[in-house]
Amino acid sequence: MMPFLQITDLDKTFGGLRAVDDFHMSLDAGSLTAIVGPNGCGKSTLFNLITGALTPDRGTILFKGRDITGLPPHKIARLGIGRKFQVPAVFGELSVRENLALPAMKGRITSIRNDTNNARTTAILDQVLLTDKADWKAEHLSHGEKQWLEIGMLLAQAPELILLDEPTAGMTAAETAATAALIRQINQTGGITVLVIEHDIRFIEQLECPLLVMAKGQILKSGNFQSIRQDEQVQELYFGRTEAPHA
Amino acid sequence: MGNNLVTVAIFAALAALPLFAGDYWTGQFTYYLIYGLFALSLSLVWGYGGILCLGQAIFFGTGGYLMAIVTKGMIFPDLTNSYLGLLVAITGPALLALALGWFLFAGRGIGGAYLAIVTLAIAVVLERLMSNWYALGGYNGLLDIPPLDIGLFGYSYELWDALPTYYVILAIVVTLFLALNILTRSSFGLVLTALRNHPDRLAFFGFSVLQIKLVVFAASAALAGLSGALFVTVDGFVSPTLIGFSLSTEVLIWVAIGGKEMLLAAFLGALLTRFSEGWLSELFGDFWTLILGLAFMASVVLLPRGLIATPLQALTRRRRPTPPPS
Repeated sequence: MMPFLQITDLDKTFGGLRAVDDFHMSLDAGSLTAIVGPNGCGKSTLFNLITGALTPDRGTILFKGRDITGLPPHKIARLGIGRKFQVPAVFGELSVRENLALPAMKGRITSIRNDTNNARTTAILDQVLLTDKADWKAEHLSHGEKQWLEIGMLLAQAPELILLDEPTAGMTAAETAATAALIRQINQTGGITVLVIEHDIRFIEQLECPLLVMAKGQILKSGNFQSIRQDEQVQELYFGRTEAPHA
Repeated sequence: MGNNLVTVAIFAALAALPLFAGDYWTGQFTYYLIYGLFALSLSLVWGYGGILCLGQAIFFGTGGYLMAIVTKGMIFPDLTNSYLGLLVAITGPALLALALGWFLFAGRGIGGAYLAIVTLAIAVVLERLMSNWYALGGYNGLLDIPPLDIGLFGYSYELWDALPTYYVILAIVVTLFLALNILTRSSFGLVLTALRNHPDRLAFFGFSVLQIKLVVFAASAALAGLSGALFVTVDGFVSPTLIGFSLSTEVLIWVAIGGKEMLLAAFLGALLTRFSEGWLSELFGDFWTLILGLAFMASVVLLPRGLIATPLQALTRRRRPTPPPS
């Protein structure tokens, strides 16, 4: 079977820095995968390359067999790839409901009607626990709520692949656990393929998914949480040699 | 909504105005309405689209010149129809905006202060160009532009008198004002707000930011072109000042004083500033511009949403659940 997302020979250099270096990866449809790695290992650059924010120097990215390398971001988004940014990127002046209506348009203004109150929006509001605040301006939400709203916006976009860049950055422990549960739910019941970038160990453990360890622009190791955690090379690189990670 | 009530009251007052005001003031307010329409065009692109165009008179002046060229029969002496003139004066500036916008917004594009400076420079260049283009009257401009002929099916009805002119212009302005209100509350308005808020994010939801910017820039230019065309039919005269620096900054001041994010406020900003100019300049002479400058600074520093929009919003606050103060 053809891989859902297949990346081969991907290179991206900034000045003298090889941010992504001969990178290979493939994801199966319906999978949930996390990429972990220290700051500066090339994780966010990888997302920028997949979503078209950056053009690779070399290599190809195939999405469902189609070459999307170097396409502009809006075209990649229309093909069914959604992306969540590290800093919550919601539209502050719009209401929560409007924030969900916008991605549901999928980049095309087909009707003059401003449809913000439909069954789908209501279901998503419910899923991201923002029903009570549906008419609030997004700028008035708390940080954690904004993160959830952005996840809701991705759902409204109805993508087949979701890329999440540190979705729990700045969240409390309870919020982090709830977010992990939400992401598993999106993946399992929604059938959406999910790729997460994260370096919060608690969160990664709660995702209960295969991990890829990234370092210096390449995949260093892959495996489940336990095997990665016990890997010496990974400990040295990521957790620090002698210290075991704190839960 | 209270908002609609205020709008109706204001336009009703404008409709009733000729009953109380004499021909002179009716004539003056015809100009003010056109300036109001021009202000609406800037409010659309700047207040809603977040694109600060400091050379909005480019499109006003282009519309004015095109209207003059067509209705004076300077190219086709037999085709001087007002409707044709309006059509050319609307599509011409829109096409100019598309071409300009493509250079300004394509690729990474420019924005903010850079965009403002470039558009301002273009306005200055065009003003110089028109001053030296002798076939189009050069510095003196073009005289004897015929008034608007609103006749249909071979009948002719030229707008010479103050009263019918006023009502025709008012009808056009009201129609476009309502259309703009529908547009900004539609899904397109939603996208525009998002564009102003977070342009980079929009692309990742599948929106072509270039396309949206071009559409709003061209729509705004079309409106500005129409106001320029209406202006020259009322004034009978087009000159390089209509395309240049000072009108570009003036409209910016009207819109900033009124409130750029609220169509009604931007419109009233133009009307009230021009109206005040009349009697304040009589009272204070040249100090009038000082007062205008102070009002502009006050609106930028103290009430960035606008001197008119702020009280209007307080008056018409929509009842929507607002978060408790944290």
